[in-house]
Amino acid sequence: MVKIDNLTLKYADKLAIRQLSLSIASGEKVAIIGPSGSGKSTLLSHLYSLLKERAAFCSQKQGLVDGLSTYHNVYMGALSRHHWTYNLINLIVPFSTPLAEVEALCHQLSLDVPMSKVLSKLSGGQRQRVALARALYQQQATFIGDEPFSALDPLMAEQLLTMVLAGHSTCIIALHDKSGALRHFDRILGLRNGELCLDVTQDALTPELIDNFYSPETLALVSNA
Amino acid sequence: MPKSISFVGHWQKVTLILWAIALVCFLFSDTEIISLDPWSELQRMIQGLMTPDFFATEYLLEALWQTISFALLGVLGGLIWGAPLALLYSNRFIAAGCAVIRSIHEIFWALIFLQIFGLSPLTGILAIALPYGATFARVFFDILLQSPQSTVETLPARTDRVSRYFYGKISHVMVPILAYIRYRFECALRSSAVLGFIGMPTLGFYLETAFRQGHYHEGAALLILFIALIGSITFWCRPRLIIIYLVLALFTLPSMHSIDASLVWRFLSQDILPPALQGVTDLSQLDLSRINELINWGKSVFFEQAIPGMLVTLLLALSALAMSHLVSVTLSAFAFKRLTGKFFSVVIRLLLLILRSIPEYIFAFIFMLLLGPSMLPAMLALALHNGALIAFLTIKQSDNVVNSSVYNGRIDGYCYDVLPKIYPNLMGLLFYRFEVILRETAIFGMLGVATLGFYIDSGFSEIRYSTALLLMACTALLNILVDMISRQLLRQNTQTALACR
Repeated sequence: MVKIDNLTLKYADKLAIRQLSLSIASGEKVAIIGPSGSGKSTLLSHLYSLLKERAAFCSQKQGLVDGLSTYHNVYMGALSRHHWTYNLINLIVPFSTPLAEVEALCHQLSLDVPMSKVLSKLSGGQRQRVALARALYQQQATFIGDEPFSALDPLMAEQLLTMVLAGHSTCIIALHDKSGALRHFDRILGLRNGELCLDVTQDALTPELIDNFYSPETLALVSNA
Repeated sequence: MPKSISFVGHWQKVTLILWAIALVCFLFSDTEIISLDPWSELQRMIQGLMTPDFFATEYLLEALWQTISFALLGVLGGLIWGAPLALLYSNRFIAAGCAVIRSIHEIFWALIFLQIFGLSPLTGILAIALPYGATFARVFFDILLQSPQSTVETLPARTDRVSRYFYGKISHVMVPILAYIRYRFECALRSSAVLGFIGMPTLGFYLETAFRQGHYHEGAALLILFIALIGSITFWCRPRLIIIYLVLALFTLPSMHSIDASLVWRFLSQDILPPALQGVTDLSQLDLSRINELINWGKSVFFEQAIPGMLVTLLLALSALAMSHLVSVTLSAFAFKRLTGKFFSVVIRLLLLILRSIPEYIFAFIFMLLLGPSMLPAMLALALHNGALIAFLTIKQSDNVVNSSVYNGRIDGYCYDVLPKIYPNLMGLLFYRFEVILRETAIFGMLGVATLGFYIDSGFSEIRYSTALLLMACTALLNILVDMISRQLLRQNTQTALACR
């Protein structure tokens, strides 16, 4: 589905990705791990720019609009499906069909706030779920997520992760931790200083491999499955 | 000694330089008090203030309503032409055009329109709508620039441009834009009242009459009403009611007598031309003597009126700037609850409301009755009004300052713990206000202070429109120049976002 060959990217004048080659097939569920600043976000936004037409992106920046309601923030995932006149009227008077859809979606995400509640009044965890709901509401086959569950408790994070994985044929998700969440993925990529240091399938994944990846001494040890 | 110099920080230096410049300006200004007996006049004014007479003015309600309706229609007009321009403001020519329109004070626009439309409501509304629209264009453009990019980036790929713009950009800035319109409406109420001084049927007209005739009971009542009107905006100016007000405003406008097209044409084609060019119907009549006459006219206006006018304008504005600084620093400290206590700070806040509600022009008018015609009344008026406004905006910030555990609730605690946090923003606001002070300075000319406005006003009253227009162009240039310099300085020194322009 997507193939990167010898990619080097800069972020804020710093080398974020160094000579990285990677290919992801359609239908794969890929997790990307790595410490902060390892280049995960840069890689993900690059992947999104390649897959733009058929992927939904849940960015770490969220891009939420504080002055709009919860409903409108989620609805923004559907902007491309409707004519602009429809979108503008909806901005003033919400249409009942999308309103019901969004409400159901939020309920699924245990986001039980009034749809008219202004976003600035939501908590950090709620905001993150609004951003997630917006990405889900794009109803694309591919989901790209940049730590979309980082502000949630582990139980809910796992619950939502299963939901996201079930709803999309292809998933590329960056995760900050080495928790049990990884077992839901087919393939695990490890980024470190902008280089791909780990690329294993689920069956080849062992706790030692992960520990090794995160420990500083093994920086040079590149394990390619 | 050298050791302590290294502790003089950036803002201390800026403050000292500001004060040094202002002191020099003050020494060169005419600040003599020429009044035979200011105290008895003051006494009579205070007496009037103590016993305001609300029933002395005929047509009082009508004057109030006309003040509101001119302001409403003016702001609406400004929005209609200014808001769309915000989208094109990155174009250099549009930005320059707006800067010129903005730099000329409402009252001068009114003087021009007065020649064309006479005392028609159109004069008042256009005089507000024109400069306000230009301001809206620039401010909306600035606000839109600050709208975060991240939302647009996360929108679905095939979203159309209109939806992208409204959901990704406009929705972010709706709150500050509405707040700004509300603030400008307050300004428009002041402008509208001041237009009364040149004969529009608003509060200013009755105020001027009452004060000039020494009817202080009546004048005080009008002033109190005006302050109450501005202080209570949040109560009577509800979003839902605005539409009703607008319709009412349109229907209750004073009758517009028909505009005489030939007069308008005469004004545009003959009256505004320099004397040398009047009567010239085709280019062949332009001979050397006429061109010489034209050059001499330009020279004499420029050297005898524009240059002295500009000097006085700058002297006045710079002195007033430093005085505003003093007023704003003092009053914002007095209004700080954790320093002066609840009761006192509330009293000061009320004072701030009163001071910022009254237009500078009216202040200057009152001070001039007391202190006689010099630059001092104008300086005091500018300092009180602008200082109070800056203090008002500053205490919004200082109220939210979190004190450290060592804060002791005394003036030393304030200087250590609060002042350093609010000072950069205060100075930013102050320098921003300089542009406004400069614009306002010009209108004190109408009261006899020899600023550029004085020469413009004389030009109009002596029906030498060409002179007035040339001087207005000089005013515009001066304002734009100062604006450019101050923006440059601000960009170098502060990164604070300036609220309320």
